[in-house]
Amino acid sequence: MSERSGKRTGPNADAATRPTGAVGSSDEGDRRRRPTDGVDRRDGEVAVAVERVTKRFGSGAGAVTAVDGVSLEVERGSIVGLLGPNGAGKTTLIKSVLGMVLPDEGTVRLLGTDIHADPRTAHARVDAMLEGARNDYWRLTVRENLRYFTTIDGVDPDSVAGRHERILDRLDLTEKADTPVRDLSRGMKQKVSLASVLAGGAEVVFLDEPTLGLDVESSRTLQRELRRLVEAEDLTVVLSSHDMDVIETVCDRVIVMSEGRVVADDSVTALLGGDDVDAVRVTSPDLDAELLAEVRERFDVTGAERVGDATRVEVAVDGDGLYDLLGFLRSRDAGLHAVRTVRPDLEDVFVSLTREEGGR
Amino acid sequence: MSTRDGDAATDGAVGERVDGAEPADPGVDDEPRPATYRHLVRAVLYREYLVFVRYPANAVGGIVVALFFFGVLFYGGRMVAGRALTDSIEGIVVGYFLWTLSVGAYSSISNDIGSEVQWGTLERHVTSPFGFAPVALAKGAATVVRTFLTSAVVLAVMVVVTGTGLSVDVVTVVAIATLSVVSVLGLGFAAGGVAVLYKRIGNWLNLLQFGFVVLVSAPAFDIPWLAVLPLAHGSGMLQRAMVDGIRLWEFPPADLALLVGVAVGYLALGYVVFRAATNRARRLGVLGDY
Repeated sequence: MSERSGKRTGPNADAATRPTGAVGSSDEGDRRRRPTDGVDRRDGEVAVAVERVTKRFGSGAGAVTAVDGVSLEVERGSIVGLLGPNGAGKTTLIKSVLGMVLPDEGTVRLLGTDIHADPRTAHARVDAMLEGARNDYWRLTVRENLRYFTTIDGVDPDSVAGRHERILDRLDLTEKADTPVRDLSRGMKQKVSLASVLAGGAEVVFLDEPTLGLDVESSRTLQRELRRLVEAEDLTVVLSSHDMDVIETVCDRVIVMSEGRVVADDSVTALLGGDDVDAVRVTSPDLDAELLAEVRERFDVTGAERVGDATRVEVAVDGDGLYDLLGFLRSRDAGLHAVRTVRPDLEDVFVSLTREEGGR
Repeated sequence: MSTRDGDAATDGAVGERVDGAEPADPGVDDEPRPATYRHLVRAVLYREYLVFVRYPANAVGGIVVALFFFGVLFYGGRMVAGRALTDSIEGIVVGYFLWTLSVGAYSSISNDIGSEVQWGTLERHVTSPFGFAPVALAKGAATVVRTFLTSAVVLAVMVVVTGTGLSVDVVTVVAIATLSVVSVLGLGFAAGGVAVLYKRIGNWLNLLQFGFVVLVSAPAFDIPWLAVLPLAHGSGMLQRAMVDGIRLWEFPPADLALLVGVAVGYLALGYVVFRAATNRARRLGVLGDY
């Protein structure tokens, strides 16, 4: 049995047919429950579909378009990073997708359900951590929070008690399970928030800055757990963060927003320029002024500096350019201390994309 | 699989299991079941209980303040009005009891929503598959239960201090007081919705609770149209029940129907205002902001 089928069996899976006093019948739950022989992976299925969503705040000359005709899809069982500078429209978009903000135009479908037409059905399969460490009741213990919010998320907490223990264990929270959240550190509170979001077995989760305040080890634990959930349980994650390392490490795809629009939507690898080498950095003790001038004549040198008794030169190259450069240096009997390929990281790409868009 | 009895897995002592059940086995796969409204109400009530027993200072403080004001009213009034006040003390005790109940229920639900906004937990209730309004209603019901307990303590102390002989038929008092307070719950709902929309207006909303004094003391049996206001008719019935010893089934059916009608009417009105306010907050993009 997949661990995370709880939420889809939750309340209002089909409100029209539910019996009095219950928001979802057991038959309903059985019908929607996953097969017991493992993960019900549905490659290619769209978990989140946003179509031409626009949201403006204010009116007249002072109106601000927070989200401007955004369309995107998130495949089930993937982690998608949502990036953008402050004010880019990320939070408004996420809240529109969750039904907390009514867009002026456009539609949002979560696992096939229009969130604004039928929010209860959609909410039975989605959860979000939008307030970081503030996402829980600090006066309750960790375990009490998991049980409370599992119920609020439409799942009988007794029926997923084993899942709760596993989540606590994987996030290193077992020892603190019966401690009031207010007595925990900032990082622990953050993990409790994530645990309570995962506790109900949502199929799609939105996480805003999930690693904020976590130490390196805790951040890695959380990233590992997210990847495990996606791969083992077909969880879909939309993750908003300013931590580019987290995005680069865990996300299958990155959507970059700027000024309310999507300015890039691609895999991390593609955004970083594929597998092509962008530049090479060569350090040689024999690169004197004369040889360096020759290199400048033949190649696109983007930088040069003295490093100890050697010279380090950075040359923009593509595919064969690397061989040409090394061949040239060999022909001049130049020894090499180091050769390193240089690629822009996600932060460089992000700054470049948002700067271009900001300059429009 | 765990055999824990729902939210009763832990008692007031943090983490102490009271039902002797073994912790859930993390190695056992779960069979997730949908939560029902019963689970929802139980979870909300249990949370209210935990906060109550774990942080008793707030609850005790509320009782002390209520008794202090009653002491000022009773002893101060007796010094000023002498026997005149003593003759009407039963009415004052009953009215004060209903007022503390009403203020507790009203301020709890309106302030609770404001607190959820500040704590950052409101959004999680908004995205509940139960729907935000039913969850808020369950939380309101939980606050009424808690307020009943604290107001009962206040009532008991007032009866002992004043030496009045009030009739406390539990079924009659609980039924009439509950239905009376439900109408106030409706007002609290509306106030909570307005708080979601406009934020930080708690002080203004709290002013309304002083209006409850007027409603509690309104002569609804003498001026019929007053009976459709919240609290007024219920207050009159509670006075008759506790002072004159009339039991629930001895009231005319028309009075009982009006009591139920006013309760349901104001609750429905509050619900509509709450829904309208939260929908507007969604349009303005301010739901969950503070």
